[in-house]
Amino acid sequence: MTTTPPKKSIWQNLREVMYGMATHDMSRYAVRTRASMEHLFILITMGDLIGVPILPPYYSLRLLPYVVPQISTWKRRLLREKDISDAMF
Amino acid sequence: MNTLYVVVIAAVVIYVAYNFYAKRIDRNVIQSDAKRATPAKMYMDGVDFMPTNRNVLYGYHFKSIAAAGPIVGVITAANLWGWLPALLWLVLGVSFIGWASDYSAIMLSVRNEGNSLSAVSHKLIAPRTRTILFVFIFFYLLLIAGAFIGILAAILSARPDVPFGIFMLAVMGLLAGQMLYRWKMDLIVVTAIVVVVALASMILGPYGRHTDADGKLIQGPVGQLVVSVNVAFNNLTGGKPIEALSTVDPTAADPRIPAPNAEGVRPTTATYDAETGQIKTMPSYLFWTLFLFVFSYLGANLPIWRFAQPVNYIGFWITLLTIGLSAVGAVLAPLIGAVDSTGAAIGTFVLPAVKTLGFAAEAGKAWQPLWPMLFVTIACGAISGWHALFGSIGTARQLEYETDGLPVGGGAMFTENTLALLSLVAVSIVGVGGGGGRFAAGVGKLLSAIFGTAFEPFGTALGFGAFVVIVLTVTQLVFRVMRVTLTEWVGEAVPVARNANFSTIFSMVLTLALVLTGTWVYLWQMFGAANQLMAALSLLVVTVWLKSQKRNPAYALWPTLFMYITTLAATAVTARNLYVTIATKPELGALPVGGAWAMIIVAVLLIVAALFIGWDGYNAYQRYARGTMAPAAGAAAAR
Repeated sequence: MTTTPPKKSIWQNLREVMYGMATHDMSRYAVRTRASMEHLFILITMGDLIGVPILPPYYSLRLLPYVVPQISTWKRRLLREKDISDAMF
Repeated sequence: MNTLYVVVIAAVVIYVAYNFYAKRIDRNVIQSDAKRATPAKMYMDGVDFMPTNRNVLYGYHFKSIAAAGPIVGVITAANLWGWLPALLWLVLGVSFIGWASDYSAIMLSVRNEGNSLSAVSHKLIAPRTRTILFVFIFFYLLLIAGAFIGILAAILSARPDVPFGIFMLAVMGLLAGQMLYRWKMDLIVVTAIVVVVALASMILGPYGRHTDADGKLIQGPVGQLVVSVNVAFNNLTGGKPIEALSTVDPTAADPRIPAPNAEGVRPTTATYDAETGQIKTMPSYLFWTLFLFVFSYLGANLPIWRFAQPVNYIGFWITLLTIGLSAVGAVLAPLIGAVDSTGAAIGTFVLPAVKTLGFAAEAGKAWQPLWPMLFVTIACGAISGWHALFGSIGTARQLEYETDGLPVGGGAMFTENTLALLSLVAVSIVGVGGGGGRFAAGVGKLLSAIFGTAFEPFGTALGFGAFVVIVLTVTQLVFRVMRVTLTEWVGEAVPVARNANFSTIFSMVLTLALVLTGTWVYLWQMFGAANQLMAALSLLVVTVWLKSQKRNPAYALWPTLFMYITTLAATAVTARNLYVTIATKPELGALPVGGAWAMIIVAVLLIVAALFIGWDGYNAYQRYARGTMAPAAGAAAAR
């Protein structure tokens, strides 16, 4: 594991700070929107995994190979305890 | 005193506090370790939990915490007590409390599996602590929305050179969303188009403005257009104010009350009766209030990429440009001996160092003692509870290394402090005006130190524009968060609250009631008290957590006690002021009296909620001090 970030030039640092201020939250919202759509899709197709059968298992099994990489992330996000403050930001 | 001294003081204080205090706490108490896995790495989901570069996260955290608070609070405090108390609280507050609050909340979350402050308080202190925190959040949002809409509506209705730029900002926001997300245009091209147009629209506000031979102010084409709109609405009542909506402000801090003239007397204007002290509500004021609500409604309900986000993006560049150039002007002005159009030195402070300490109370009059009121009037810039809440959710889950916590959380807080100091500089170098007007005039002077005295009116317009943009971008997000909070909070029990339109309009109706009935400075100080109580709560959670980990909690404990006692006292003083100056005077009219009672009830609610939290926190601290109880089941293991 790398513990010390590599040295960067002052311009590189400045660029990263500007990106953080100007567009990082836009990127996060875009990623969040995509994730919401994908998770909804997985819920519809793989609902059996959390006890919500929506699609007949035949189709779920056909789609399973394509969804496998995202299942752990999906279950973690879906089953994580949340409160109002999580919905704010 | 001049602007250069403030810059030097700020640089020295930040350097010393960061290197000799904050780093010591980070090393010895929190013991951050770059080799320890953060939640961003352990639970990476590519969305909320995502290791992010330290510089990017610093910029993100700073942008998220730095809004209108460090500007509006400083302006209000400097006008009430003078620049010296404000300066002292800003530098001492951020050095001993502010950075500790932001940084600790982030590290608390990092060490507790990325759980939010409310979730940790639920587990570590008591389940009801989380519920009470949400009470704080709701009233916090309501009060800040009322305070911001009030100050913005007053500026838009009184300054014909400002609204056009704000209208164009809305148009450019919609256009930017369309160009970026629908037409897939390049970000740099979109930025160049929308920022230049919005900026030019703001600077053009005073274009063509002049005084005629009789000394009468004649607006330019843009200003004339806005004046025509105001006149058209005011003609609906024959140019008279709406009597039923007249109110009073015994503190004379309402943005509609004119600043005293050279003789120290406040003149009678279209919105203020100097003899009776009545503030008159004109139809144009209501129109601009409605304009702000429509703007905020779009921000709260349209998909975020369609309006709120592009508007914030444009606003960011305008603010960065204005603040950055003003900072250059503040350094440059004393060095080159820049003078304004009247020949006065630009960098010299004109505002008195200390106006009053305000400790002497007079029966029947508002009481503004330096302690505790200064400490809630200036919240952001010195310390803020909102930062801790955001840091524990938005920032902590992206921290790549534990050792990034201090430069990101503490560093962003120190940077916000410099923004507050710049606001203090801007208001202190201007002799006349109040509120946002004094800030804008200060920005105009600082910019004229760079571009010459002919630029001063345009610089002032830009100062107004930047001020309105900063406040308005926050306001639209406040309504968005308020809508979400209402839906999540009462959506189960009250199904109609799940409707986004209903939640937004309900929030706006409550806000409008505060704007029309509330007294601006009380509204602001109540918001500050709710915010600072949240800060005290976050520090309390950190204190209890450190105690549960057998670490020295002193650096968080003493600020907790100071903020807790101070904000409770400030809330009580505000309630007393409301009671003495308005609530017991039925002759002032039903509207202000009703508003005063409503705010007194809010104050009592906040005090009761704070007492519950204090009691639960004390008990939790004692439990961990005695070692009789480990963290509740589900709380993070000690790491």
